[in-house]
Amino acid sequence: MSNYQIITTDVLIVGAGLAGERAAIEAAAAGLDCIILSLVPPRRSHSTAAQGGMQASLGNCAMGKGDGPDVHFADTVKGSDWGCDQEVARLFVNTVPIAVRQMSYWGVPWNRVVAGKKTLPDGREIEDTKDMEGLITARDFGGTAKWRTCYTSDGAGHTMQYAVDSVVIKMGITVHDRTEAISLIHDGTTCQGMVVRCLRSGELRIYLAKSTVIATGGYGRLYGASTNAIINEGSGMYIAIDTGIVPLGNMEAVQFHPTGMVPVWILITEGARGDGGYLLDKNLHRFMPDYEPAKKELASRDVVSRRMIQHIRKGLGVESQYGQHLWLDIRHLGEKHINTNLREIANICRNFNGIDPIKDLIPVRPTQHYSMGGVRTNIDGAAYGLKGLFAVGEAACWDLHGFNRLGGNSLAETVVSGMIVGKKVAEYTLGASLNYNYTQVQDFAKQQREKINTLISGKQGKENVYQIRREMEQTLMDYVGIFRNGPDLEKAVAKLQELYHRSLKLGLKSDGKWANPELSSALRMPGMLKLALCISYGALQRTESRGSHAREDFPKRDDVNWLKRTLAYWPAGSSLPKLDYESVKITELPPGDRGYGESSANQGKK
Amino acid sequence: MQAQRLLTKNPRAELYYDIVELFTGLTLVGFLWTHMIFVSTILLGTEVYDILAAGLDDYYLSYIGIPFIIIVAIMHVLSAGRRIPTRYQEQKVIWRHAKMLKGTDTWVWIFQVITGVSILALGAIHVFVVLAQWPIDAAISTERMTAFWWFYLVLLLLGEYHAGFGIYRQFVKWGWFPRRPLGFVCKVITTIILGLGFAALWVFNALGGAL
Amino acid sequence: MSRQLTFSIFRYNPNDPSSAPRMQEYTLNESTGMTIFVALNQIREEQDPSLNFDFVCRAAICGSCAMVINGRPRLACKTLTKDFKDTITLMPLPVFKLVGDLAVDTGTWFRHMSLKTESWIHTNKKFDPIAQEDRMDNEVALNIYESERCIECGCCIAGCATANIREEFLGAAGINRVGRFMVDPRDERSDMEYFEVIGSDEGAFGCMGLMACDDNCPMGLPLQLQLAFVRRKITMAGLKS
Ligand SMILES: Cc1cc2nc3c(=O)[nH]c(=O)nc-3n(C[C@H](O)[C@H](O)[C@H](O)COP(=O)(O)OP(=O)(O)OC[C@H]3O[C@@H](n4cnc5c(N)ncnc54)[C@H](O)[C@@H]3O)c2cc1C
Ligand code: HEM
Ligand code: HEM
Ligand code: SF4
Ligand code: F3S
Ligand code: FES
Repeated sequence: MSNYQIITTDVLIVGAGLAGERAAIEAAAAGLDCIILSLVPPRRSHSTAAQGGMQASLGNCAMGKGDGPDVHFADTVKGSDWGCDQEVARLFVNTVPIAVRQMSYWGVPWNRVVAGKKTLPDGREIEDTKDMEGLITARDFGGTAKWRTCYTSDGAGHTMQYAVDSVVIKMGITVHDRTEAISLIHDGTTCQGMVVRCLRSGELRIYLAKSTVIATGGYGRLYGASTNAIINEGSGMYIAIDTGIVPLGNMEAVQFHPTGMVPVWILITEGARGDGGYLLDKNLHRFMPDYEPAKKELASRDVVSRRMIQHIRKGLGVESQYGQHLWLDIRHLGEKHINTNLREIANICRNFNGIDPIKDLIPVRPTQHYSMGGVRTNIDGAAYGLKGLFAVGEAACWDLHGFNRLGGNSLAETVVSGMIVGKKVAEYTLGASLNYNYTQVQDFAKQQREKINTLISGKQGKENVYQIRREMEQTLMDYVGIFRNGPDLEKAVAKLQELYHRSLKLGLKSDGKWANPELSSALRMPGMLKLALCISYGALQRTESRGSHAREDFPKRDDVNWLKRTLAYWPAGSSLPKLDYESVKITELPPGDRGYGESSANQGKK
Repeated sequence: MQAQRLLTKNPRAELYYDIVELFTGLTLVGFLWTHMIFVSTILLGTEVYDILAAGLDDYYLSYIGIPFIIIVAIMHVLSAGRRIPTRYQEQKVIWRHAKMLKGTDTWVWIFQVITGVSILALGAIHVFVVLAQWPIDAAISTERMTAFWWFYLVLLLLGEYHAGFGIYRQFVKWGWFPRRPLGFVCKVITTIILGLGFAALWVFNALGGAL
Repeated sequence: MSRQLTFSIFRYNPNDPSSAPRMQEYTLNESTGMTIFVALNQIREEQDPSLNFDFVCRAAICGSCAMVINGRPRLACKTLTKDFKDTITLMPLPVFKLVGDLAVDTGTWFRHMSLKTESWIHTNKKFDPIAQEDRMDNEVALNIYESERCIECGCCIAGCATANIREEFLGAAGINRVGRFMVDPRDERSDMEYFEVIGSDEGAFGCMGLMACDDNCPMGLPLQLQLAFVRRKITMAGLKS
């Protein structure tokens, strides 16, 4: 068999979302040669779908007065249910204000403070002062003490991605879109690059680099109902775990967003509640104040999602052919507000559900939304296990979010970690050299070629990739959702193991030639199942409730035994991850009550 | 870019073309509408028509106006005509495109080209005939109109269509107003002008005893 | 109550010398709330796994899924099948390079457009990490966002006859993009610099006002008014200097 084309560069960035591109800018600014790979053109990355905004403690708007990095820090740590790395959180909150201003410098048209008195939907009067006029303003988001989420109407992710990509274009950074990294190349100690499949022609290529950055985003599409883009299949994570050396962190920490629109699971941004939207039950009763008198609809996401399911379980959900749901009501915000500040939501309701949120209620249910877990890195973004491998953004477990990410902290993370890790990547790369063994490197690609040939020939079996995929999605939805328990999780692990074995016996119905989409799916399937197993097995082992991980059989947080981070490895030939744990760094804020959620509510009652 | 192109390229050529297209278009529409009002003075009687024609002649307005309009028309044909696809393949693309993709204004443009090319021919004949039998007076006009009423009818329809949608297109391309109300206003004006034209045509024919 | 739908879909793989462009038919039972996204996935999973098409966000925000649906360029993910008769014809967008079947390479086209229009903030200011951000009127910010909402889907380009004939024409998306920077006070480009970017038949003066862009933009961008705004600005710039 002939050899594969080798493309070499200094820095290889896998993923052209906000995190990947921001890191690339930093590397390129250091004079390094840089190639970005992406499944899709950068501006189609999932980051563009973020509507709500990015947290930055500028404290410009009336309701943000008195905000600063310290307040942001406390919110983030509480939000994470003390699962985050506090050194990382500190570095993050101190850098965010710079990052948001840099975004402005690069062209994001952040909404600005308009001076004057305003009345909030709940009747409170606020006044934005003249001295702040024209500075970046912010809106309210769940789990934050201040109004801190900077936004551009409801296209924050879109405008940020376009601004960052404009800098990438300006700097002339190479982007190879419609390419998919399918395997990591390493020699046991150092990462050397990736085997990449071209999604135009189907051919395989080898990309070698002194440093490689995984910025492939989340894995939402493992779940049947997810707000994520359909390309969010966690590929960067399973590529990493495939090595057997690089661990994933906290994979059991899966965030559900309270308001996915039934039945298409498109996200209705938290901005809808931040701007004053209510959650109603089948009797059109606003139930959140009953559970969370202080924060109401704006407690952190894990809490609101659980309260919603709790409420539905009480029989107060609205029946529909797609199962039970609740209502989101924004009608009282008025036509003008909805058509400007929440326009995208209004369009989504109209286009995908035929309803008009100015007059109608929006059907919603908690929906898979974000992966706190990912490729475990240190504070510099360097992955555990291999030199020269880094990870940023949602694909990484830098560990800013612990067991629950605050809304708006993720866009902030992409640009902040992109900036910080990008610098570290540059530093590392400037001191590194690229050494590789030609045949060894070619072997990595040949292995992938053989996999493809086997799939095409159907030698291993005739399992249908779409069938397996549906079963995996269903299993995770049914047993590894918002509320979890031992027996269900055991069922999930057993089922997923069975599916994993079957996924090794896939056969194609089509010819699998060129950029065949069935082949693409088939290549991803075993990896996705590995991630599904890391999530459910990690959840099974973690016998406590923390943040988004809520065990009905262990409803309390258990700091004595579980104030630690899960590390999942995948030993070669195994059908289960090997779990390991490391302690969580507490530097400033010792574990305590979050001030909202179940524990506070109970205390309140007693 | 190739060196030859670089050396010959005038960076503002396309700007000037576009401005010429704008102003000649506006002028011609203005002219045609005025001309139609003038012609329809026949509705007020042959005397009014003759006085007006004589007036234009006496103050040399015709002698300045007619050459001016002819020059403007030539400039218009050159500037607007540059848009007409000349290569066979381009024409095929346009047709395929217009048929496959439903875009009303694309059809408006196609008809603009067709009517434009048609009035180039018909208008030239008409102007030539009028000038050949100078001066204008009601009797001569009546004679021509009765003999060639079908010719005038066609010219009227094509000309007013071309003018009405032409001015619509210019406002769409340059103006501050949304298309739908603009289109409505242009259609109303065109209908009025057409009404005048039909009425004048009818009166001329009545005068000539054809009816 | 469920209807049977017939999809007539363009098939061609430009990589494969043995492939010839053709239309292929698939039939499918309509489900409630079915979009073209749902239908195409169902066809791929149940009938023809080799069928190529692009979806990413499936929520009309990423701009990946534009195709010609019964003669109009639209986003397939937000097009409901119930709005059509029993036969639905799907063609790839014209103008863009074909990747295969319904998938086209809009990414390369738009990157080229961004390069030609220099779609980034041009400023001589240096970024100062400790300084407060420059102030901006909220109205101005909203105004910038109004044109920045373009998702680069390519519907305006595909529907434009001019863009179909002239390869270099930047189309409504390109002209709109320049308009976006013109209203941005952070961009220090002079009118003349903008003129150099689009003061030609490749840009503002190439547009013949065919308005297919305005008809087809799925984001409802006010392209007619935006194109006229840029045309006036660019004309004044060209005349002044
Ligand atoms: C609907 C929705 C709304 C959200 N709203 C907000 C919000 O308001 N505020 C907030 O803070 N956060 C929000 N988030 C979360 C936030 O948008 C994401 O976490 C963040 O954008 C992730 O950015 P990223 O750069 O890490 O990854 P992505 O933007 O997902 O980018 C991943 C990139 O990797 C590429 N890629 C993937 N796999 C491969 C591969 N194998 N080979 C090559 N390339 C690959 C993709 O092509 C893509 O370019 C939202 C999320 C969703 C789902
Ligand atoms: C004499 C023969 C004529 C020819 C060949 C001709 C041709 C054309 C063509 C091809 C166009 C389309 C150009 C474009 O829209 O980009 C056009 C537009 C137009 N024509 Fe004519 N035309 C003629 C006479 C006239 C006359 C007499 C009038 C006045 C009533 C007129 C008014 C217009 C206007 C206003 C437009 C719109 C211009 C624009 O869109 O910029 N034309 N013409
Ligand atoms: C530039 C010099 C022109 C002159 C001096 C002129 C003069 C006249 C005159 C005198 C008449 C009355 C009928 C007649 O005597 O034949 C007439 C009618 C008419 N002209 Fe012209 N014309 C000119 C240009 C045009 C052009 C460019 C058009 C078309 C675009 C046009 C379209 C018509 C039409 C349609 C009528 C018939 C009106 C009706 O139906 O009542 N003319 N013109
Ligand atoms: S202007 Fe509208 S149609 Fe054109 S690319 Fe942008 S969003 Fe699509
Ligand atoms: S369709 Fe094309 S010609 Fe102009 S008005 Fe729109 S860009
Ligand atoms: S899939 Fe993103 S716009 Fe349709």
